[in-house]
Amino acid sequence: MDAQVEIQLIAAVVAIACAIPGVFLVLRKMALISDAISHSILPGIVIGFFITEDLNSPLLILLAALMGVITVVLVEAIQKTGLVKEDTAIGLVFPALFSIGVILIAKNANDVHLDVDAVLLGELAFAPFDRLIVSGTDIGPKSLWVMGTILLITIGMLFAFFKELKVSTFDAGLSAALGFSPVVLHYGLMTVSSVTVVGAFEAVGAVLVVALMIAPAATAYLLTSDLKKMLVLSVIFGVFSAIAGYWVAHFLDASIAGSMTTVLGLVFLMVYLFAPNKGLIAVMYRQKQQRTEVSLLTFLLHLNNHEEESERHVKHLNEHINWQKVRSKTVLDLAERNNLVHIDKNIVSLTIKGKEFTDLALEYIITNKDEKIEHMKDDFFLFRG
Amino acid sequence: MELSDYFSQLFSDYTLRTITLGTAILGAICGMLGSFAVLRKQSLLGDAISHAALPGIAIAFLITGTKDSNILLLGALVSGLIGTFWIRGMITKTHLKSDTALGLVLSLFFGFGMLLLTFIQKQPNANQAGLDKYLFGQAATLVESDVMLMAIVTGICLVIMLLFWKEFKILLFDADYTKTLGFNTRFIDVLITFFIVLAIVLGLQTVGVVLMSAMLLAPAAAARQWTNKLSVMIVLAAIFGAFSGVFGTAISASQNNLSTGPVIVLVAGVFVVVSFVFSPGRGILFKQLRKYQNRRDLKLQKTLQFMFDIAKTHENISHPHAIKILNNFQGYTRASLKEMEEKEWVKVRGQKWAMTEKGYDAAVNLYKNN
Repeated sequence: MDAQVEIQLIAAVVAIACAIPGVFLVLRKMALISDAISHSILPGIVIGFFITEDLNSPLLILLAALMGVITVVLVEAIQKTGLVKEDTAIGLVFPALFSIGVILIAKNANDVHLDVDAVLLGELAFAPFDRLIVSGTDIGPKSLWVMGTILLITIGMLFAFFKELKVSTFDAGLSAALGFSPVVLHYGLMTVSSVTVVGAFEAVGAVLVVALMIAPAATAYLLTSDLKKMLVLSVIFGVFSAIAGYWVAHFLDASIAGSMTTVLGLVFLMVYLFAPNKGLIAVMYRQKQQRTEVSLLTFLLHLNNHEEESERHVKHLNEHINWQKVRSKTVLDLAERNNLVHIDKNIVSLTIKGKEFTDLALEYIITNKDEKIEHMKDDFFLFRG
Repeated sequence: MELSDYFSQLFSDYTLRTITLGTAILGAICGMLGSFAVLRKQSLLGDAISHAALPGIAIAFLITGTKDSNILLLGALVSGLIGTFWIRGMITKTHLKSDTALGLVLSLFFGFGMLLLTFIQKQPNANQAGLDKYLFGQAATLVESDVMLMAIVTGICLVIMLLFWKEFKILLFDADYTKTLGFNTRFIDVLITFFIVLAIVLGLQTVGVVLMSAMLLAPAAAARQWTNKLSVMIVLAAIFGAFSGVFGTAISASQNNLSTGPVIVLVAGVFVVVSFVFSPGRGILFKQLRKYQNRRDLKLQKTLQFMFDIAKTHENISHPHAIKILNNFQGYTRASLKEMEEKEWVKVRGQKWAMTEKGYDAAVNLYKNN
């Protein structure tokens, strides 16, 4: 196989393997745990290296994954003491462990072929040179095999425990009541995440693993609220960024991991801005509309309260209710278009439909019962269309 | 160099003095502002901001081509602020939660920064080397002007904090109330955030992007354990931070191949562990001791209650009873009986015990107070 194709293949496999646990981390509001794990596995790797003297030994992965689980346990132990808030616990644990790793490397820098830069960044470009040779034949790059195995295990676990994961993610109480221990699932997920982080770590480095885990999931989360669709979408985003990132790096002659993240960032930014329903622009538009709707209600209530003509004059509105001209005009137009008011010689009065609507609104304000507002929401939909 | 050499050379050696002063000031300002971050539950904001500052450094270098640390830090400040406000935008405008927003900004900005850094490294520009010191920080590169800058910023921070003391304090503990009092919460909020970003950016050169968050958090988390008063906490955090800076520099200077950043973080970590365990009010040790003490008291009181139930059936409360009848009662041990005797609740004579007047009163009042 061509080295270029191999690099892209490894990148894509890493992206998929990261995206799957990433979805659950984002949904469980534990996205930052991946950041903590990716930093704190460093001492595990260094100690493993001291023992085996071999950077590719499986013991390294095992120790590092163990370190990841220890991080989670430590964070939870500190949280349980109640001395500091949850996020502070994360912020205290991983820099300390990472520092230990860095110092261990620095103290033994002369006889260790381990470089802190490589730890942070990884180097995908060199991955194809490290071949796996079984009984004399070259069967492909080693990291492809490692990540491929991790990916297969992850997918296997995902299919085997999909409904358990789903229920424990969205309703831990229900999950416990149904007999799936949320604790077991929690630590299972943490173990899978740790192993994935460790495997991906070599290829893309500590910080960028976090990007590969969180960004595709967050991007997908802005587009759908269906778990299966979210998983599929985040895998697609991950693979797309991996391959596009490779070519950007090729073009700029820069770090592959860095450009993969940058592509991920751009994809996220686009979705963040333009996603239908949940994107920034859609949200801003909806908020503006809701503001107008509330203004309309206020306006109708005002009309309902005042019989005298001076209070119902078109000009009076923007003086009395203190609205700007444009806003008063939008509200007035909206009300008239929906036959809620009619204007006669610049005097505004409620129509029968307007009166009914206002009474409904008043009833809701007085009783504060939800079923009333449900009905009105439908009415507002009519205005929009 | 030995540790003792370090301290003897501290006042004669220019480099050593500069670095020590720099890390001490940095520790102090980080502790001070970190207190706000910790109390506002924004602990990991520091982590996100420090990573988000990296592309700013790279872009500042690409535009100006200089390695003047002031210009690079300005770039870091701008991109750190952009990161902060994007996090805020994400949390308020979309349904993404704060952890996702923080993680996104942290990793995406950092990745972009790394792309730029590797891009710069490939450029035919002799001036490019040394940008990667911002990853882990190198206290050794601090010069007097850097320390001056830190001192000035710390001074400004201090003045602003004293000026806006009551606003900061009230916003910290009750944001809604602050709003109803008519304060411009948005302005105060932005002011605090701005200074937190500033402190982080200042530390990048010394501690580096990766470990900066711990510098901000650890002194404050340690100080929190010793007091419930904001002013005391801030002063303590500043002291802890400054000491971590000095000790960290001392240890890393006295050994070969030790970068300053990680050592400072570990020293700060020691402060945290000691505070967690030994602080008298909230520490684990004393909490456990208090728990144990309470449990013993409770046991003693239960035994007393049991004795009281026996004693009150007799005309004379001090009528002696056999110790044997206590054996049925679970809370009773020989040691607890001895303790009760010391409290003069009972008198023990041979194999018999008798309740005293004092013990009787204590038993009667046992459930009255609550």
